[in-house]
Amino acid sequence: MAIVAQTSRFSKIAWPVVAWIVGLIFFFPIFYMVMTSFKTDADAVNPEFLFSFTPTLENYANMTDNYDYWRFATNSIITSVFATLFALVVGVPCAYSMAFSPTRSTKDILMWMLSTKMLPAAAVLYPMTFLTKNVLGVFDTHFLVIVVLCLINLPIVVWMLFTYFKDIPKDIIEAGQMDGLNTWGEIKEILIPLAWGGIVSTALLTFIFCWNEAYWTVRLTTIDAATLSKLIEGNRAPEGLFFGRLSAVSTAAVGPIIVLGWFCQKQLVQGLTFGAVK
Amino acid sequence: MANRTIPRILQTPAVILLLIWMLVPLSLTLFYSFIRYVLNSTVRPEWMTPSFSNWRGFGNYEFVLNSKDFWFAVKNSIFIVTSILTLTVVLGVLIAVLINRSFPGRGIVRVLLISPFFVMPAVNAVLWINMLLDPVLGLQGIAVNNINTLIGGLQDAPIVGWFFNMWPVFEPISFRATQTSSIAVIMMVTWQWTPFAVLIFMTSLQSEDQQQKEAAILDGASRWSQFRFLTLPHLGRPMAIVVMIQAIFHLSLYAEIEIVSRGNGNKNLPYLIGEFANNNIGAASATGIFAVILANIVAIFLLRMVGKTLME
Repeated sequence: MAIVAQTSRFSKIAWPVVAWIVGLIFFFPIFYMVMTSFKTDADAVNPEFLFSFTPTLENYANMTDNYDYWRFATNSIITSVFATLFALVVGVPCAYSMAFSPTRSTKDILMWMLSTKMLPAAAVLYPMTFLTKNVLGVFDTHFLVIVVLCLINLPIVVWMLFTYFKDIPKDIIEAGQMDGLNTWGEIKEILIPLAWGGIVSTALLTFIFCWNEAYWTVRLTTIDAATLSKLIEGNRAPEGLFFGRLSAVSTAAVGPIIVLGWFCQKQLVQGLTFGAVK
Repeated sequence: MANRTIPRILQTPAVILLLIWMLVPLSLTLFYSFIRYVLNSTVRPEWMTPSFSNWRGFGNYEFVLNSKDFWFAVKNSIFIVTSILTLTVVLGVLIAVLINRSFPGRGIVRVLLISPFFVMPAVNAVLWINMLLDPVLGLQGIAVNNINTLIGGLQDAPIVGWFFNMWPVFEPISFRATQTSSIAVIMMVTWQWTPFAVLIFMTSLQSEDQQQKEAAILDGASRWSQFRFLTLPHLGRPMAIVVMIQAIFHLSLYAEIEIVSRGNGNKNLPYLIGEFANNNIGAASATGIFAVILANIVAIFLLRMVGKTLME
């Protein structure tokens, strides 16, 4: 009751209004991009048509001709999906054993895994280029992008899964052992069904990170395995001539991910803070 | 759980993969940083293959430390990172407190607020530098133009006209110059990462002790002192975490700099490494080692904090 008493009528109205304004300001650049994507290139740079214009789908229809969008999008999908899958295949058993049979070194291994994530990528730029181009010959292949995306996200995958698995009572797993399940059976029959929600949100978040990655995907590809990051980076300075079509391809590149992101806001906190904020 | 071999086996693939990923490129960087190694040299072709006979000791490090570019990049990196951190933390706390109570459409406001975080960095940079900040065609140019027209119109108005006659004609700012492009990068990254801070502070605010707060209200504590003495201390830990995670991410900021600043002389450490790597691998590697050291200083603090809550 005390809280209600303190809330004046003014703040009852002003508070939501301010909150809405802040929300709209933050969303405005995205809105502006989406709006511009429905203008022709000529209208897009004409202040007269800033908010009143004849919407057109031309930019989306020509996206394949202008930018070869689908090739880059396919590369993004392939690399992100497989990188996420591999990270889970390696990460689930690892997090399982860490959560259910921790040893004295478990904590140190987890911390060490995190620390690999903190190495600045640029520091190993040349060795990576050299190794992949001249030694292994995998430069600009899907295989390389998948492996790299998988490895840079593996620490986060293990961490997130570990925090989910930790909450599952040990007794359930032990009961499975009594019933004569082997390790694989325990993971398949007990762990995965029980932690399904956690595994799915880990996968979604990893997928988003893979999709948005913009260092290695730009530096280790040229054409064959180039992702959407590379496509947009290559069109960085359109000199205002192509705002319409550039907005369309940008919208197509970020739209699905933003929607996906709305569904895993909660997991984002856990995934990015490694469970340190609750 | 007597059997300890199976858990070990299950962890092995992850550990080995990460070990290779970390050690192989990093040891190569370390090696290159101590030798003379360039990609193109007509004068000294022997420097074009990495080998111990080209040993240079700390020569590359000296070269890097004596180059103006390096210090410019370090200063710029620190300037960009600290500006982003200050802005995101301040804005994050304010916005988190703002939307931490229920009001109509709160769910929608949350969704609007979090969206920028999922925009890929390349799109973020292209969108801001072209469509929002361009001095002629972007929203900035249009806005400045409109303001000038508006003032021009008001100058002829009776009574208040003299006041507007004193106003200068506004000039749009070009954000592609060396000095201003850092500001552009700070703006776009702040836009992208404030939602992250908001999200974390909001999660943390939900676990704030409500009874304590009610007691404070009964004692007649003002809104401000509630915020100052209850909410802020409660947010101390999340703030530290937000600062450290962002520091690690932003120290390796690349796509934004590449898109906004290519060719205009503005750079941060990762960008400088990229520039060196076009020819002088020794210098690029030495700069890389400095970047690793810088990141590690931050990382040690973060790992300590995370480690404390790990086994709870």
